[in-house]
Amino acid sequence: MSFSFSAHNEAKFAALLPRYPHPKSLVLPCLWMAQYQEGYISQEAMAYIAHKLDVPMAHLYGVATFYTMFHLEPIAKYHIQVCKTLSCELCGKDDILKAIEEETGLKAGESNALFKVSQVECLGACGGAPMLQLNEEYHENLSVQSTKALLQGLKS
Amino acid sequence: MSEMVSISVDGQKFQAKKGALLLPTLLEHGIMVPHFCYHEALGPDGNCRMCMVSIEGQKRPQIACDTPIKKDMVVSTKNESINDVKRKILELELLSHPVDCPICDQAGECSLQDYYMAFGLNESRRPKEEKKHKNKKLDIGKNIILDQERCVLCARCTRFTQEITKTNELAIIGRGNDARVSTLPNQGMQTPYAMNVIDLCPVGALTSKDFRFKQRVWFMHSAKSVCHGCAKGCNIFIDHNQEKYKSDTIFRYRPRINKEVNGHFICDEGRLSYKEENSNRLEQAYAHNKLISKENAIAYLLHALNTLHPLLIVSPSLSLEELTVIQLLSKHFKLEVHAYVQGYEDESFEDEWLRSKDRSANLASIKKLDIKTSEKSLKAALECTGLIINFNHFSFLNPSPHEQAMLLHKKEIHFSSHNFENCRHKKLLYPIASFSEHEGSLINEGGILQKYEAGLCNERENILSLVHELIATPSTAQGVWDAHLKEVFGFEYEAIGDEGRKI
Amino acid sequence: MIQKIVSKNFNIKDSHKLEVAKANGAYESIDKAFKLKPVDLEVEISKSGLRGKGGGGASAGAKWCLVSVTNEKSYLVVNADESEPGTFKDRQILEHDPHLLIEGIILTCYAIHAHDAYIYIRGEYVAFAKRLEEAIAEAYKDGIIGQNVKDFGYRVDITVHRGAGAYICGEKSALIESLEGNRGHPRLKPHEPSPEYFFGKPTLVNNVETIATVPFIIKEGADAYRAFGTEKSPGTLLFGLSGHINNPGIYEMAFGESMQAFIDTVGGGVKNGKKLKAVIPGGASTPVLTAKEVETARLDYESMREVGSALGTGGMIVMDEDTCMVSALKNLLSFYHHESCGQCTPCREGTAWVDGIVENILSHHSKLDDIDLLSDISKTMNGKTICVFAPAVAMVIDGFISRFKEEFEAYILQSKESVNV
Repeated sequence: MSFSFSAHNEAKFAALLPRYPHPKSLVLPCLWMAQYQEGYISQEAMAYIAHKLDVPMAHLYGVATFYTMFHLEPIAKYHIQVCKTLSCELCGKDDILKAIEEETGLKAGESNALFKVSQVECLGACGGAPMLQLNEEYHENLSVQSTKALLQGLKS
Repeated sequence: MSEMVSISVDGQKFQAKKGALLLPTLLEHGIMVPHFCYHEALGPDGNCRMCMVSIEGQKRPQIACDTPIKKDMVVSTKNESINDVKRKILELELLSHPVDCPICDQAGECSLQDYYMAFGLNESRRPKEEKKHKNKKLDIGKNIILDQERCVLCARCTRFTQEITKTNELAIIGRGNDARVSTLPNQGMQTPYAMNVIDLCPVGALTSKDFRFKQRVWFMHSAKSVCHGCAKGCNIFIDHNQEKYKSDTIFRYRPRINKEVNGHFICDEGRLSYKEENSNRLEQAYAHNKLISKENAIAYLLHALNTLHPLLIVSPSLSLEELTVIQLLSKHFKLEVHAYVQGYEDESFEDEWLRSKDRSANLASIKKLDIKTSEKSLKAALECTGLIINFNHFSFLNPSPHEQAMLLHKKEIHFSSHNFENCRHKKLLYPIASFSEHEGSLINEGGILQKYEAGLCNERENILSLVHELIATPSTAQGVWDAHLKEVFGFEYEAIGDEGRKI
Repeated sequence: MIQKIVSKNFNIKDSHKLEVAKANGAYESIDKAFKLKPVDLEVEISKSGLRGKGGGGASAGAKWCLVSVTNEKSYLVVNADESEPGTFKDRQILEHDPHLLIEGIILTCYAIHAHDAYIYIRGEYVAFAKRLEEAIAEAYKDGIIGQNVKDFGYRVDITVHRGAGAYICGEKSALIESLEGNRGHPRLKPHEPSPEYFFGKPTLVNNVETIATVPFIIKEGADAYRAFGTEKSPGTLLFGLSGHINNPGIYEMAFGESMQAFIDTVGGGVKNGKKLKAVIPGGASTPVLTAKEVETARLDYESMREVGSALGTGGMIVMDEDTCMVSALKNLLSFYHHESCGQCTPCREGTAWVDGIVENILSHHSKLDDIDLLSDISKTMNGKTICVFAPAVAMVIDGFISRFKEEFEAYILQSKESVNV
């Protein structure tokens, strides 16, 4: 049940290591690689990274829980992250959330196997408000219709 | 760069080391500046913001733990504006703090309570329903209970496991006001020094499971003592209280600061050794498993000393004074004294910090008094006698097969602080005081002579008064020093300070 | 009104690709720069009056000097953590002209004797990080960066380092902590002017746009940059417009323009023909301005300070007459509550507390005292913390309360009535 980097991640790690003055800089890149590999950051992955970088496990745990984008448990296939900060709220983010609820049955903070709906802070797309981030993609200038169309496309 | 410069604090001028941190300098001068995250053993962290002071020339208040001393610095620790700052920051510390005082063991030695009484005394401006809730009474192992709600996130405990023990069991996880101290999932504290975090924690977030709900701290008296768990001689406080109808009982040991010996810390085993000290005490004298009066016991003892040529065995944990009078006793009756240290050696206990493989407290005194310690010499002496008189030596009170073999066919007289059932069958088993009940001094493995106070006031006879009864040696530690040890060491008993004296 | 110093290639098709970038002037400053001494570049930057474009507006030249003067092995860190609400300008450079950034990095590294540069990019900017990686790969392949920059014998290596969702990592010392593999906790500030330190080595942390401006200054000269803007705020900034505005977007302008003119002409005025009520001028952490104040406000650092606000990142959030200012404040306080790192007491507890109080005001569960309470907490959060996060929150609160107090009072009084009923 133990974790180790895939060949791809191992190669990435090897390429990154000499670019930094100290291996500890690789904590965030390694956490990202683990999350991409397993879909979330498991305890085993953290223990593996701790050992690889010669950093205490407690340190990894403290770092992984600090950053919003790291998930320590598996999440749904599609993570719908709706920006809730001021510009998006001014431009109708609540309508977008309502549309999402109508399409998925989920309110912000709720999740099922297919979708997880979260409200997140400013994504740096204020000019395209309201907007959401679907997994890693930005979807800006949303309307109720475009939001529903996007979700329908995922459901099929 | 230890140049001394003049600074002024609250109108008082004094000399201080240039470049040193302001906060410890103020504390050393008895100026109370509230603080959580600064600790002498850990240094500053700058996160609690409680130690703010006004410094002339700086428009904003500064944290004293991050301010270096400069020549002619003018500091104010209490003026209207800085008092307001302190009160407001304290208010924020208390904002989500649960009002657990009635059930929190920290009460009476809690920085939050102390600061609140000193300069808070305000009503809460936030409804209690809105307090942030976190996990409470988490058993994180090694006798430690974590209450995340009470925590002020000063990071002393995490820094302890990171920088001092380097075992990294604790971390701050989460972010913002959701941040909390935690162990790793499904793991707990492991370091043999874990319980030190209980002392480090300025509030009731980390408390002792062993001490939980046992005693309010203001009922306890603290005696300055020395742990007898090994030859390190870590300084401790014995916290004890005599409840109605009970004997004076020890409730806990706490570390006592000694920069030369143990710094600010003690090991868990030493800390919990109070249980042993407290319990299973011998109250009565026994001979052949029958109760015997003290008068008859002493009579028999004198008879034995005069006629039966016994071998005297001493525990290497007895005090220097006790060893001295027993040596005098042996000279008086022309008897031999042996220590036999093998039983007190434990290599597995040793580490690179505060745990010594020598589990006796005073071997260095044994050596100073030229008392023999080897098994070889003990065995040789045993051949010439049929009776041993054992002064609290653990290996003969609770002998392993090896020691049993040595004592085969020998009669035994034991002076013991604790009740060893098998010894009741022997010629004589006589109760004496344990170290927490009398004063004395020890020399640790680093050659530091340290005094310990009489702690408990249970009236038990100690070795000094016993031997005084026999041969009129001094009956107090002071007396032994005045009559004998002053000459040996070249200084008076009083000259051994609170932190001991290197010899 | 629109200028084209850093944004000149933004609308060119495939401007992020090396050949297109080169065809449009990329890397032309390199040849000139390496014929000069590093200190000459620093002097030129100082002369230009270039100010940091991450929100602080500190002198770039002075910051460079703190590093270069140490003569130690040093580092450059480019702050691409852009997370200030209302701010979306740096992403334009990353997306549309990454080679301009790389060019600026080479020049800056040379000036401060650094050979290794890290671009700390916020975790959410996945697409832009990819763009950067591609551009960097192209630059390596072309010998523009690497062991031997354009055959000038100087090594510059650039590494993209992704954050993972923490606004506080945009604070330069928290950024370095994060880059060192730690939680993003800002560091205690030194008592004398001092560079940042990355694993103990002097480090320059500069915003993306600041670095992207360097090629122009080196190529065209300090005076050419000073031809734009005002005396104390020379040059240009990628200003942003969002919220209730007809033409949201990023527009490069010289400092000193009229805010009202910007909103009306470039911005196309308030959406749906509504009247303007308020504008947050430079990203969430700048005090809000009333429509009246906007009328006479000018977009430079000094003018913004005079009117009781700050220029910040220049990301304007426009609010129309129907905007509930209490909700707007709640939105921002909820942001700060979520983003506080939690290290020091006034911020950790204060941000949660003020968020709760405004929530109570909004849900009609408060009293008039709460307005004074907000101001009181704001005083405790200002000037007593490790970093400027809490002071920013304090000033945001003060800005809203001082200018829109009646709206807060109205909410509170409404709740009084509902209690009486």
